[in-house]
Amino acid sequence: MTEKKMGIINRCLPHGSAHGRESLDLTLAMSAFNESISLFFIGDGVYQLLAGHSPADILQKHYQPLFKMLELYDIENIYVCSASLRQRRLTTEMLIIEVTPLAREQLQVKLAEQQQLLSF
Amino acid sequence: MDNQKTKFSVVVTGAPYGSQSASSAYQFCAAATLAGHEIAGVFFYQEGVLNASQLVSPATDEINLPDLWATLAKQYQFPLEVCVSAALRRGVVDQQEAKQLSLAQFNLKSPFVLSGLGQLAELSANCDRLVQF
Repeated sequence: MTEKKMGIINRCLPHGSAHGRESLDLTLAMSAFNESISLFFIGDGVYQLLAGHSPADILQKHYQPLFKMLELYDIENIYVCSASLRQRRLTTEMLIIEVTPLAREQLQVKLAEQQQLLSF
Repeated sequence: MDNQKTKFSVVVTGAPYGSQSASSAYQFCAAATLAGHEIAGVFFYQEGVLNASQLVSPATDEINLPDLWATLAKQYQFPLEVCVSAALRRGVVDQQEAKQLSLAQFNLKSPFVLSGLGQLAELSANCDRLVQF
């Protein structure tokens, strides 16, 4: 049994599907067993971190506050695709947690470093 | 290299009907075991938990994926782990949970078992390759 470098990729909008929420559930649970987790937010996935959701209006769970738990759970490698932010006219200051923005090439390097990837 | 045996853990996130995710995962497991590789276990998450329902009842000339999973897992002795929180939200319940939640029915198919995400961590650590469908 050896702990693997695990990358968890988030590509979906926060609501409309449970991908975002179930990815975060998985991330927080896995962190109890694996200290080598990196998170990636790519494409529409960046919207999961954008402040100001009120999903109760559409009968969805407001899971966004749980992103604050990442820090408590010592998950510090949180990477956001800077091109995805730019395309959506977003900046890291508009996001609810501290992240590391990466250009496409840097993102490829980080993804290649992972031994296992899960994508949601 | 040809005879090298690989130990796979598999994550299934698609329902047994309506998307190809779970049937591809099943075919992968069947092909891998046939080729002499090992399946450390299959973890069912998101819509994948519906693969564990014994109420899935397709027409007789169609594939019953829960049955196929059960047969393959018994033949090659690997566990079928179902994420409990994802399962309960989607109405997949074992006898113990049904009792605890005062539900009249349970529907978890044998040999699927409800387990936590910790089990996924174990499958992740205990394999050469983790493959998600």
